[in-house]
Amino acid sequence: MTDLLTPKNLILKVILCLVLLASVMFACSLIGTQKVSLKAVFEGPGAGPGQNVDYDIYVNVRIPRVILAAMVGAALAASGVVLQAILRNPLAEPYILGISSGAALGVMTAVLLGVNRQLWAGSPVAGFAFLFALGTCWLVWLVGHLAGGASVTNLLLAGVVVNAFFYAVIMLLTSIIRSHELKSTIMWLMGNITEKSYPTLVLSAALIVVGIAILFTLCQKLNVLTFGSQEAQALGVNPRVVTLIAFALASFVTAVAVGLSGLVGFVGLVVPHSVRLVFGPDHRQLLPASAFVGAAFVVICDTIARTIIAPSQIPVGVITACFGGPVFLLLLARHSRKAGFR
Amino acid sequence: MKNLPLILLIAVCGAVTGAPQRIVSLSPNLTEIVFSLGLGDRVVGVSNNCDWPAVAKTKPKMGTFWQPNAEAVIAARPDLVVCETFAQQKETAETLKRAGLNVLSLRVESIDQLFTAIARIGAAADCNAAAEKLVANVEEELGHIETIVSPAEKVKVLWVIQAEPVRVAGVNTFINEIIELAGGHNAIAPTVDQYPSIGTEEIIGCGTEVIIQSAMGTEAIADQQQTAQAFWSRFTNLPAVKNKNIYVIDSDTVLRLGPRLPEGVKSVAQLLHPELFAQTHKAGP
Repeated sequence: MTDLLTPKNLILKVILCLVLLASVMFACSLIGTQKVSLKAVFEGPGAGPGQNVDYDIYVNVRIPRVILAAMVGAALAASGVVLQAILRNPLAEPYILGISSGAALGVMTAVLLGVNRQLWAGSPVAGFAFLFALGTCWLVWLVGHLAGGASVTNLLLAGVVVNAFFYAVIMLLTSIIRSHELKSTIMWLMGNITEKSYPTLVLSAALIVVGIAILFTLCQKLNVLTFGSQEAQALGVNPRVVTLIAFALASFVTAVAVGLSGLVGFVGLVVPHSVRLVFGPDHRQLLPASAFVGAAFVVICDTIARTIIAPSQIPVGVITACFGGPVFLLLLARHSRKAGFR
Repeated sequence: MKNLPLILLIAVCGAVTGAPQRIVSLSPNLTEIVFSLGLGDRVVGVSNNCDWPAVAKTKPKMGTFWQPNAEAVIAARPDLVVCETFAQQKETAETLKRAGLNVLSLRVESIDQLFTAIARIGAAADCNAAAEKLVANVEEELGHIETIVSPAEKVKVLWVIQAEPVRVAGVNTFINEIIELAGGHNAIAPTVDQYPSIGTEEIIGCGTEVIIQSAMGTEAIADQQQTAQAFWSRFTNLPAVKNKNIYVIDSDTVLRLGPRLPEGVKSVAQLLHPELFAQTHKAGP
């Protein structure tokens, strides 16, 4: 991309993405297995539950679900952008550093321990997923650091091995877990967006937005980092510090998303690359654009997941994979020549 | 007519004001309970998997047992929703409660829990008497089968859930309860897993006298019977194989903990102790 990225240009693009996302969310909130009339929704809840079914469905099912899908998509796509930058590896995605297996192990542990009570901000299963995801990232970072922190290859290697090991533990647990719970766990592993309560949504949205906002302030440094760590050092950017902060934030944001929805695959890989192919590799626009596009992508996929075989539903991870793969390949074939990622 | 008192009770139930008039059930066994309590007319939604009684299939569908559709449930305007307690149904239940619906979550994984579930649905739908009657009926029928089989020696049973790889019902399952009620004894020792997958060595060593395989789906049971016989014929040392006591049975009455449980137990008991049932059948009407 030869165009210079001016602040005005960036703001314009961000607003464009925001409008796109808002319209996608609005449109998808109108689609569902039941016909909902907006006019009826605006008449309010009525005297009590069951008085205005349109309102109940729209406010308690559609809106929370669309918001949740958007949050998960934004978190995964943003985290994918950052991890691809700090690992300088186009195959990097939010799950590559053991986050997925760590979170899955957390869910398994929660199920095995039988913690199943509803808390204020959602189920403890989500909490376990979140804590285990963070714990695994920390473990991967520690091992990568002990093996020689300067090289990102060690970090990547540690992540891949921890992932493989944890999956082995998961398989062990799978073989002794109770059958009903096993099926639930499998649904979770396929990525499953359901309706959450508003307190859960507000808390998670705050965490994800703050995480992405801080990551955005690091974008210029991430640009420098993609040249390589020695070049970055020469340009006055400490690769170790930037990598640590970016890694921690990306893991955190992913862990929140994983706790909310299980393992929604493909978003963290496909969305950043697609956006990069279209917009170019500058992280200052790649990060916000990916977050918005990722959000819109998951919202659309979830709408398909909950309507395509209505009244039944499919786990959203299945749709992101089926839909994301071909779209990405098409973009790759059409745009790769003019894109700057190697 | 055996069900006449029940039908009368139901008529009484319906007359009581304030009882739920629009019921949604998200699980096949709970649907069976609801219908058996005579609340069928008030059912406005069932899961895609609810297929008994036949009229349940004509009710509006609310998504699958594994993934209920909250939107469809709310749109059905129910005043009582009955559902299971595992993760997906629990999440749906939370959503429905937030929308202000009256949700009854029931865990039904043992025969005791089945009785509790019937009583709780009865209480929620304001027909306690019908629920008590239903529980009493089920208990009585189970007791009847027990009296028939109690003089006989317990038969060793291997209950196969899935054939390749072999996965069987362990001792901490309601299937184990069914085996015991039917005058049998589980051929495998206690396991960590509820439905353990077992190896060839364990199969050969268990010395089972009867192999029962719950059918996958309700169709082509004869085909499944042939496949099963071919599969098990390699374990020639097992008494079950020597005596050709290998049965594929319709899984609906035995894998669903509902009011048809005595039917399921009876069908199993007949397989385990055919001689006892041949006699009673002659003695009976």
